[in-house]
Amino acid sequence: MIGQKLDHYRVVEKIGEGGMGVVYRARDEVLDRDVAVKVLAPGAVQTLGPEQLLREAQTASALSHPNICTIHQVGQTGDTFYVVMELVEGQPLNTLAGAAGLPTEVVTRYGAQIADALAHAHDRGIVHHDLKGANLLVTREGRVKVLDFGLATRHAPGQLAEVTQSFASVDTKLAGTLPYMAPEVLKGEPGGPASDLWALGVVLYQAASGQMPFTGRTGFEISSAILREPPATLPPAVPPGLAGIILRCLAKDPAQRFQRAGEARAGLEALQAATITTHEPREEPSGPRLLVHRGIQHLAVKDGDVLLLVGTMKGAFLLRSTRERKRWDVAGPYFHGHSVFAMTYDGRNGRHRLWASTSSVLWGTFLRSSDDFGKTWLNPREASLKFPAETGASLKNIWHICPGGPEEPEVLYCGVEPAALFVSRNAGENWSLVRGLYDHPHRSRWMPGNGGLTLHTIVPDPGHTGKMYVAISAGGLYATSDGGQSWQARNRGVRVTFLPEKYPEFGQCVHKIGLHPQRPDRLFLQNHWGLYRSDHCGEAWQDIANGVPSDFGFALVVHPHDPDCVFIVPVESDEFRCTPDGRMRIFRTRNAGASWEPLTRGLPQKRAYETVLRDGLVADSLDPAGLYCGTRSGSLYASRDEGRSWTRILEGLPAIVSVRVASIGTPRTTPGARPARAASASPPARSRAARPPQKRRKSRG
Amino acid sequence: MPEPVTFHIPGPLRPFTAGRSEVRTDVPLTTLRQALDLLGTLYPGVRDRLLTEQGALREHINVFVGNEDSRYTGGLATPVPSGAQITIVPAISGGSSGGGFDSARASRHRMI
Repeated sequence: MIGQKLDHYRVVEKIGEGGMGVVYRARDEVLDRDVAVKVLAPGAVQTLGPEQLLREAQTASALSHPNICTIHQVGQTGDTFYVVMELVEGQPLNTLAGAAGLPTEVVTRYGAQIADALAHAHDRGIVHHDLKGANLLVTREGRVKVLDFGLATRHAPGQLAEVTQSFASVDTKLAGTLPYMAPEVLKGEPGGPASDLWALGVVLYQAASGQMPFTGRTGFEISSAILREPPATLPPAVPPGLAGIILRCLAKDPAQRFQRAGEARAGLEALQAATITTHEPREEPSGPRLLVHRGIQHLAVKDGDVLLLVGTMKGAFLLRSTRERKRWDVAGPYFHGHSVFAMTYDGRNGRHRLWASTSSVLWGTFLRSSDDFGKTWLNPREASLKFPAETGASLKNIWHICPGGPEEPEVLYCGVEPAALFVSRNAGENWSLVRGLYDHPHRSRWMPGNGGLTLHTIVPDPGHTGKMYVAISAGGLYATSDGGQSWQARNRGVRVTFLPEKYPEFGQCVHKIGLHPQRPDRLFLQNHWGLYRSDHCGEAWQDIANGVPSDFGFALVVHPHDPDCVFIVPVESDEFRCTPDGRMRIFRTRNAGASWEPLTRGLPQKRAYETVLRDGLVADSLDPAGLYCGTRSGSLYASRDEGRSWTRILEGLPAIVSVRVASIGTPRTTPGARPARAASASPPARSRAARPPQKRRKSRG
Repeated sequence: MPEPVTFHIPGPLRPFTAGRSEVRTDVPLTTLRQALDLLGTLYPGVRDRLLTEQGALREHINVFVGNEDSRYTGGLATPVPSGAQITIVPAISGGSSGGGFDSARASRHRMI
């Protein structure tokens, strides 16, 4: 069979053998993926008859559930019947339990998943018939997969009677199945959902204790025990709640068992919550999924409020104000000890979701989200962003979380280190690497900057779905107009100080880019030395450092309503990354870079050697626009008159790496209904989290 | 009958082990990689915090088998004998960043 083709599946190797046939790993040559192919034994086909077999397998192939191994296809070549399935790699549950059983919380977690799979199948009229430890694989991620739905071995009545009356050791084919058989099945009745629940009871019994509930040396002894004996006493380590659920599944009379798999699942889930809180309640009563920050006065956020998301090297802070922006409530630190390089607010499609990337030098980088303005955060078990194995790369940090353009309300992007772009098309549930950029031939020649090789800025073009820009340090600016499949370097005219060639095609250390939705073809760029504007989508750049004290800097933000107005915070030099002359000055142009003027009122002008990092400056979308600026020394400044005057609203925070702002309001319901290229189309890239101003006014009537 | 292997879980990972500071298993294990795989399967939140997506132990996490730091005994291929005590020890790396500014490898003191 190895090397043969069944339809478009090339058989690669044998990976298992069971009562129904032999299982092979095969290559799906159309979809270019590995699958499992079960080639059915002729005996199995005879027992049920090929028609019923195919019908059942086809019915089962309609099941779609995270805990059920998916059947892709059922086929026949000559006399050979085969079933093509999802390839699941994992360990059979019965081998995980060992001789002493698994901890209660693990049993309940796995049990709830199996019960959920059964509930899903039973609701669709599909019974498993052969649930057993060997049919339950636990993947590396800790997810149980139920195998062989609709493919269960059936035994001819005579065959079963032979075994149950046998005084010899149980024949190998039935050895793995008999101990899971429900009494009514042993009596010759057809199995139904209730017999699956019995088998669930045996599986849970075994997982919790490492032992089988009904044992014997021969088929007769085992079947007698199942039919007549109570299950062996569970060890005292199994708590009464779990024991109760197991024993209810193991009621001899099917009517005494749970009536539906969903009831068993609910019982296990309730127990799961209870186990988590009773073990060491002082440690983490919130459980693994939800992180609750205690001792924090959380924010009460109302419609129309302005929310500031401040990421620091040691945690995140949230601030809220009314649209007057006079007084700010402060909450935090969230994730203390973790550095938070990126945050965003996603108010699209009825959501009020905060996102934060938290990075710990010890435990790695995780994306977290909150739907209640920070009271609880989803603390994922698994990292959501993972480089595929063949890249050999590992995620170091997430620098930018960016909602997609107005036509893509479920799309989110992440820019990460090592430099790569990830995309989610279901509002952050699943993520994948954007291969078009990762496989770009330039990649091997990009060089890490001081902060590592990072993709730190993502700017979708709000007027053109599929068109976007990313900034990579040090790779330069790249653009796509086909949704990320192909990318072009856009760095002509941007000078590199640290390479022998001063104007290379790529390799620039770009620090920040910005565009205004009204003029999406025009880009502004703060480089590692150099301040630039492009009037044609980055195809050529011109120097606009006209009268600034230094053209070195990180932050750059475009005014939300005036496309000619841009703000920057120059720092003295590469070696001395502080505001020049000890004066903290934010520079503004109102003529697209022809001239710049300093903004100083309210900002420290003596011995103020501040650094404002690339995400440290942001504008809201109100009118007059508010500006917010966080420093590495932990001060947060705000202006509610477009930068004319500033107030320090917080000081003494850990080093601020990211400031984002959001206007909370009734979310857009019709993302497509948008005047072409009007100011309301979308907030500028830097304050992408904020809602468009005209929309908000409209929504208030 | 082999003696069970015991994992000692540090505080920050206990939210993912239902609060347990110790996890025991009598599943036969041969290498540390197998042992950490099993722990990650039993308690899914643990894996991605100990290992990168490429399966390497995170740089600032030390895992001891008995009294030996596995970095010096074969890494994840370190044998796990019957009855072994496996201790997960986050390095103390003072004032560090998570991703970019000061790579805090300077002193890797051990916190027991």
